[in-house]
Amino acid sequence: MTDQRVRDLLFDTWRGRIGLGMLGLFVFLAVFGSAIAPDNPTASSLDVLAAPSADHWLGTTENGEDVFSQLLVGARVSIVVGFAAAAISALLGATVGLIGGYFGGWTDRGLDALENWFLVIPTLPLMIVLARLLEPSLGVLIAVIGLTSWAGTGRIVRAQVLTLRERAFVERARALGASDSYIIRTHILPNTMPLIFANTVLIVAVAILSEAALAFLGLGDPTRISWGTMLENAFSSGAPSAGAWWYVIPPGLCITLLVLSVSILGYLFEEYVNPRLREQPA
Amino acid sequence: MNPRWLAGKVAAALVTLVFVVVFNFFLFRVMGDPTTQLARLPRATPEEIQKLKSYYGLDKPITGQFLDYAGDTATLDLGISQRTRRSVWDEIKDAIPWTLLLVGTGTLLATLIGAWLGVIAATRRGKAADDGLLGFSLFTYASPEYWIGIILILLFAVWLPIFPSGQQMTPGEDFSSWFAQAADVAEHLVLPATAMTLMLLGQYFLIMRSSMVDVLTEDFITVKRAIGLPWDRVVRRHAVPNALLPLVTLSAIQFGIVAGGAVTIETIFSWPGLGELTYDAINDKDFPVLQGTFLVFSVAVILANLIADCLYFVLDPRVQAT
Amino acid sequence: MSALLEIRDLHVTHAGRPILDGVDLTLERGEALGLAGESGCGKTTTALALMKLLPGGFKQTGTMTLRPPDVEEPINVERRTEAGMQVVRWRHVSLVFQGAMNSLDPVKRVDTQIAQAIYLHERPKSAKDVGARIGELLTTVGLTPALGRRYAHQLSGGQRQRVMIALALACRPSLVIADEPTTALDVVMQAQILALLEHLREQLGLALILISHDLGVLSETCDRIAVMYAGRIVETGPVREVFAAPQHPYTKRLLDSLPVIGGSREMAAPIPGGPPDPGDLPQGCRFRPRCPYAAEKCLEDPALREVRPAQAAACHFAPWAEWPAAHEAAVEGAAG
Repeated sequence: MTDQRVRDLLFDTWRGRIGLGMLGLFVFLAVFGSAIAPDNPTASSLDVLAAPSADHWLGTTENGEDVFSQLLVGARVSIVVGFAAAAISALLGATVGLIGGYFGGWTDRGLDALENWFLVIPTLPLMIVLARLLEPSLGVLIAVIGLTSWAGTGRIVRAQVLTLRERAFVERARALGASDSYIIRTHILPNTMPLIFANTVLIVAVAILSEAALAFLGLGDPTRISWGTMLENAFSSGAPSAGAWWYVIPPGLCITLLVLSVSILGYLFEEYVNPRLREQPA
Repeated sequence: MNPRWLAGKVAAALVTLVFVVVFNFFLFRVMGDPTTQLARLPRATPEEIQKLKSYYGLDKPITGQFLDYAGDTATLDLGISQRTRRSVWDEIKDAIPWTLLLVGTGTLLATLIGAWLGVIAATRRGKAADDGLLGFSLFTYASPEYWIGIILILLFAVWLPIFPSGQQMTPGEDFSSWFAQAADVAEHLVLPATAMTLMLLGQYFLIMRSSMVDVLTEDFITVKRAIGLPWDRVVRRHAVPNALLPLVTLSAIQFGIVAGGAVTIETIFSWPGLGELTYDAINDKDFPVLQGTFLVFSVAVILANLIADCLYFVLDPRVQAT
Repeated sequence: MSALLEIRDLHVTHAGRPILDGVDLTLERGEALGLAGESGCGKTTTALALMKLLPGGFKQTGTMTLRPPDVEEPINVERRTEAGMQVVRWRHVSLVFQGAMNSLDPVKRVDTQIAQAIYLHERPKSAKDVGARIGELLTTVGLTPALGRRYAHQLSGGQRQRVMIALALACRPSLVIADEPTTALDVVMQAQILALLEHLREQLGLALILISHDLGVLSETCDRIAVMYAGRIVETGPVREVFAAPQHPYTKRLLDSLPVIGGSREMAAPIPGGPPDPGDLPQGCRFRPRCPYAAEKCLEDPALREVRPAQAAACHFAPWAEWPAAHEAAVEGAAG
């Protein structure tokens, strides 16, 4: 029944179809972008900051490179970093939430304090500091974003584990002599996974925005083209003042649409996991 | 206000702050070897490096180094900027007012407009206005704020040259009066503040809308109608005040986003605040400055949370019971 | 004929489904009417419809006429606009809502909220007068006036319930509707609240509509009782008569489920099944699927008619002199 409901939400609602469609498109680009790009995205030419034309559908960059090709190729970094960082964040957050929530005591207090610290600290400045120290690369970006975004998941998981821990079926299992790891595996985890999943999808959106911001500030992987680095290059070469809208609007629009599609799906899953979130009939 | 409660909150804030200092310390003293970063000399001899080490107290044990560092931080000695050779604190001091101006304007406008729109959407649920506003706020939430800033520049500074595209004042101009100067600054503030407002608007709108929707389902709202209050007064005097409470806490929790936005928006508009300072420091690998701005941003967010707690305490009589 | 309240042919629908289907009620001044029935039968809807407080999406038709003693012209509620209703609400008819846990604005003090009601409908001479009146109201419901300075969360459940009663009396209405005023209270508190309501009735000459699924509660305070089932009234009459000689099978079963001290130790079997879904109503008498005496005649809608003096029931086989064990006997009795 539950799987059917997810499928209904995903395939039978406008939101589900749009979200899946857009996300599918970007994932496709992430995989095949470089193959279908008309030009080599790093091939410079003398045709600098040129407006869109038949040769260059979205014009050229400050180095004469084809904007459209760069756009297609840039999808890969956003998708890879977004999902990988979210996965790390989910793993870390779920583990901390699970351990703290289940075992309680000083472990929980310590982990909870750690969690609260990460929640209070401004995330982008923290990521900036870490990324600058570690010299930017794709791996560093994934690690930095993943290691700073886990606290939200941690808190949600901890709250859920706390309620589950007190439920009758857990007490019964314990009375029957079940070990902690058994209880966690068979009772706690299955009831927490949907929550973790729904939350992680929304973290993907945050991770994509974070990568873009870091890249824009100059902390992206210098060997790769991403939408964030496109915006960085556009900005530092004065494209806005030159009115080069073809260079400046598309990368940001792609980021927005990707984040939108992931968010729509994230809210959909959240709705499935927590029926209370569904709007009451007026 | 219960002084014990306040003392508890302040103590918690200070502990968080201490951990920021500890974090900063370990990040820069332990993770990277400071001498290679501090020295920046192409071919420094071992003796020179040793002299630098003892000068910066780097030959002491870790705890000693930390206490030095903590003490320095407490007296606002945050080191020397590697780019400008001025003290980090001086750089920060000059930048803070500009960031406050930008962030203050943006947050205020976003809260007012967002809350107002949230009430409208909640009282017209399911209708076109609600759907339109939801779509708009989702879009502004998903879009990078610096990209919005770039679009604003394109629209209102390049294609329609109404506003300046950057900086906080027209450079080189002599102002006849304080008022003329303030007006110039205000003109320069419009676009960056708009970017910041748009960044936060969607968030505050969504929070207020969902808060209002919850409050409107409460029993006491029906009771207020039952005693004969007209609906607009029920909304204004009873629904809105109760709906504002979660807005205060939730927006405080998300205050870190404001700090992040300040960095990117100031960069786009060359606005001489902490964000621009951070951006320059990133490019120059100016670690003392990076440490310093991170510290200041953290203090700001911790302070904002503390203020929000106090505000909530004043606004919600139920909190006093704890 | 100057009944305080006359409801005629009240129909309420929601999304096309009937919630109330032709409700008629009459209430005299100072009378206490009990409205009984299972949850979902439409009791609360009737109260909300009377005050036109149903949320959007509900449509209501029918006439509702109020004739308070201190008003010259009768109030035709069905014709009143929203603005017109705001004048009538609380001043002539007030409502003590079900579940007082969250009936007060949490961020405002109790006395402020009672004063609010007063200022809405009267022009008091001074704030002191209002303060004195609030103190009186709180004392009347058995609370100390000092509690007025408190916030809702600082009061216990029983205290909150009493505050809501005080609020309901604030504008001196001639009719108070109390919706499940004792549910969620313990038995002791229940008795106190009921005694309070009885006392207020005597003291102030209030008319009362008491809504409850608990027949025991209604028997103590009410003069007349109306039993509702699936959006219709199935029986009305004086409380003693209805309890002694119920004229509708549903009423009979409800009464059977009340334990009697000193009576048989057997528990009456619960009525099988549940109330019908408004979207899927049975043909004819709505109680037919669960009625042990159902016959073919019951496929016809039974009208609510007088079957004994002052007692009306909506059953083809009423009046019931006694309750036979099986259906055959009933049919025979009706034919014979």
